[in-house]
Amino acid sequence: TMNDRKTIDLEQGWEFMQKGITKLKNILEGLPETQFSSEDYMMLYTTIYNMCTQKPPHDYSQQLYDKYRESFEDYITTTVLPSLREKHDEFMLRELVKRWANHKVMVRWLSRFFHYLDRYFIARRSLPALHEVGLTCFRDLVYQELNAKVRDAVISLIDQEREGEQIDRALLKNVLDIFVEIGMGQMDHYENDFEASMLKDTAAYYSRKASNWILEDSCPDYMQKAEDCLKREKERVSHYLHSTSEPKLLEKVQNELLSVYANQLLEKEHSGCHALLRDDKVEDLSRMYRLFSKIPKGLDPVAHIFKQHVTSEGTALVKQAEDAASNKKAEKKDVVGMQEQVFVRKVIELHDKYLAYVNDCFMNHTLFHKALKEAFEVFCNKGVAGSSSAELLATFCDNILKKGGSEKLSDEAIEETLEKVVKLLAYISDKDLFAEFYRKKLARRLLFDKSANDDHERSILTKLKQQCGGQFTSKMEGMVTDLTLARENQTNFEEYLSNNPNANPGIDLTVTVLTTGFWPSYKSFDLNLPAEMVRCVEVFREFYQSKTKHRKLTWIYSLGTCNINGKFEPKTMELIVTTYQASTLLLFNASDRLSYQEIVSQLNLSDDDVVRLLHSLSCAKYKILNKEPNTKTISPTDHFSFNEKFTDKMRRIKIPLPPVDEKKKVIEDVDKDRRYAIDASIVRIMKSRKVLGHQQLVMECVEQLGRMFKPDFKAIKKRIEDLITRDYLERDKDNPNLFRYLA
Amino acid sequence: MKKEDTVKLISAEGFEFVVDENAAMVSQTIRNMLTSPGSFAETQHREVTFPEISTTILEKICQYFYWSLQFASGKETEFHIEPELTLELMMAANYLHT
Repeated sequence: TMNDRKTIDLEQGWEFMQKGITKLKNILEGLPETQFSSEDYMMLYTTIYNMCTQKPPHDYSQQLYDKYRESFEDYITTTVLPSLREKHDEFMLRELVKRWANHKVMVRWLSRFFHYLDRYFIARRSLPALHEVGLTCFRDLVYQELNAKVRDAVISLIDQEREGEQIDRALLKNVLDIFVEIGMGQMDHYENDFEASMLKDTAAYYSRKASNWILEDSCPDYMQKAEDCLKREKERVSHYLHSTSEPKLLEKVQNELLSVYANQLLEKEHSGCHALLRDDKVEDLSRMYRLFSKIPKGLDPVAHIFKQHVTSEGTALVKQAEDAASNKKAEKKDVVGMQEQVFVRKVIELHDKYLAYVNDCFMNHTLFHKALKEAFEVFCNKGVAGSSSAELLATFCDNILKKGGSEKLSDEAIEETLEKVVKLLAYISDKDLFAEFYRKKLARRLLFDKSANDDHERSILTKLKQQCGGQFTSKMEGMVTDLTLARENQTNFEEYLSNNPNANPGIDLTVTVLTTGFWPSYKSFDLNLPAEMVRCVEVFREFYQSKTKHRKLTWIYSLGTCNINGKFEPKTMELIVTTYQASTLLLFNASDRLSYQEIVSQLNLSDDDVVRLLHSLSCAKYKILNKEPNTKTISPTDHFSFNEKFTDKMRRIKIPLPPVDEKKKVIEDVDKDRRYAIDASIVRIMKSRKVLGHQQLVMECVEQLGRMFKPDFKAIKKRIEDLITRDYLERDKDNPNLFRYLA
Repeated sequence: MKKEDTVKLISAEGFEFVVDENAAMVSQTIRNMLTSPGSFAETQHREVTFPEISTTILEKICQYFYWSLQFASGKETEFHIEPELTLELMMAANYLHT
């Protein structure tokens, strides 16, 4: 039994163990040996067990622990190291892998035989466990001596593979696994003894390559090479490097290939970023994005060049339009014409093109959205031929939305185009100017029944509302609603007339009642209405008073139209004219011949208006009046008479009166509104801040108003001065740059 | 019971106890031996002799193996040890790392 077993003497016991150890070594060396039987195993285990559980002085735990270690040390120094020392390069690596595998087997076996030591002894003495002792031996004797040589051999193979040679990847993986495993849980050996040098070598390798490529290759070719290298290095990691090396390795490669040469690459004369953009090389640009997005701040210069490119393309369009415009005939100078239409179209196309670039090549990156925006802001605020971009855009919309407009598009295309126009509006700083022009043209479309499609009108207002807010479109929406109400009102008026036959003026009258606040302001002149029309006005006024007591009607005759019959000798014809034109013509019912001056005084209109009127009736396509002398322009000494002989093949003709250019008035109105807006903004800011410095006040003012327009610094200064005189603010006594709110 | 799933444990007196592999591996020592790399052809020997463990003790140990498996799977009963066997059993348990 266990109690009365014989004491094993150390030497004796060790002799027995040594046999087992030798057998194990032989098996590892490949010498002919039988396998361990279960009996062998148990005998070895039991021997150790017994020698450790014997009573002192025969408990040999310490000695056995030492001998365990020495077994490894002997084997390594006598057999393993010599065999490794005599080999080199790849052969040495193979031998190392074999020896390491063997060593692990040896550790496993021996630690099992000696297992009893692990149970109590090592804990009691705070010693490393058997497994660790075994590995440490290999580390301290073999790894310590050879790791540098191994490292160099591995790196050399890696460089060979980089040059295109086939290497044994499995071997490298096994070798690098040793670096990892020898750390026994830590990566410090892998990192310090291998990775650091490998990274250094990699950097040097790619530095050499890059210095050649940058001279020989075009930018796209270089980028292709760089991309391929990165791909291959990534694969390298998956084949035999440890995964933690990936980011560090790629960073080195990116640094040497891209960061170092970034500027030279982008600015390459005929193949750099500028050239790629110019030649629409989307594939190359996509690659450029992919590569430069990986290096710190890599995309900044690319976005900058993109912005420059788009700006110059846009500016070229502006110049093109300017040049075309300057070739126009003198009298058509102020009117927005074909060239400007084309210009807006081209800007839209430019935007479409480069937005696609931002989305596709540049993966929707904010830097590029920003670049696009800033580029467009630069040239979109340049006017063409005296018309601001706000006006051009409003005119463009007008052409799409009016009947017989120059753009003939399908419903879908119209929707799309309107969408894009609204997007362009975001780049224009004078949004309020656009709103005013738009409103003026909308009024014209609505009042002269020139709107092509109600749905489109509403649709663009919705889009504008979304982009610029409800305040932007509230008046315009009011205008559209007014028209609907006006139609209802007209129906009521006609009912009133049929119920009151005495009130009937004898002329068909249609009145459109507008809400003043919604519509652009129109100068109302005191036109001397012909008697027939005076009656109409009275009748309507009576009707309207019967409906609403507290409203005042202001008549805008300049917007009216009139159908009158001209009893010409050849035949009677119906003439569709403006109220002003009708009033002029009706003068000739009473007189055969009138001088310019007489007409002016009888109509009670301005010279500008009269000249336009008479021109449309005597010097244009249809000569309803005869002019003496028969020149092409109206002069104050001219005389006019009714042209009885006038005729046309049609029964009914429209005699157009070219509209006055609204540009000046619109700009005036907008400037006035801006002054109020600046005032309100300054007061709002000062009321909440109480005391504020000049610089700060200006800055906040600009920010507040930015959504609608970019206020001029001088203008703000002027308004501040004005508000001071009106006692809203005061200047600080000691600091002239400080303002105080006066409650 | 299939031969592959069993182990034969032999006492000092030569008594053979054939037990389930799972039961035998309750002993860490036996487990280590059975799972050592390569050298044991699984179907070959699979018998272990314990020249220092008596039949009585070895029998008790085998009982312990089975009890231990049952205890681990939820059947929490008591394992009774005759007092006169205690010392030897503990020493054998130490040896077998059980």
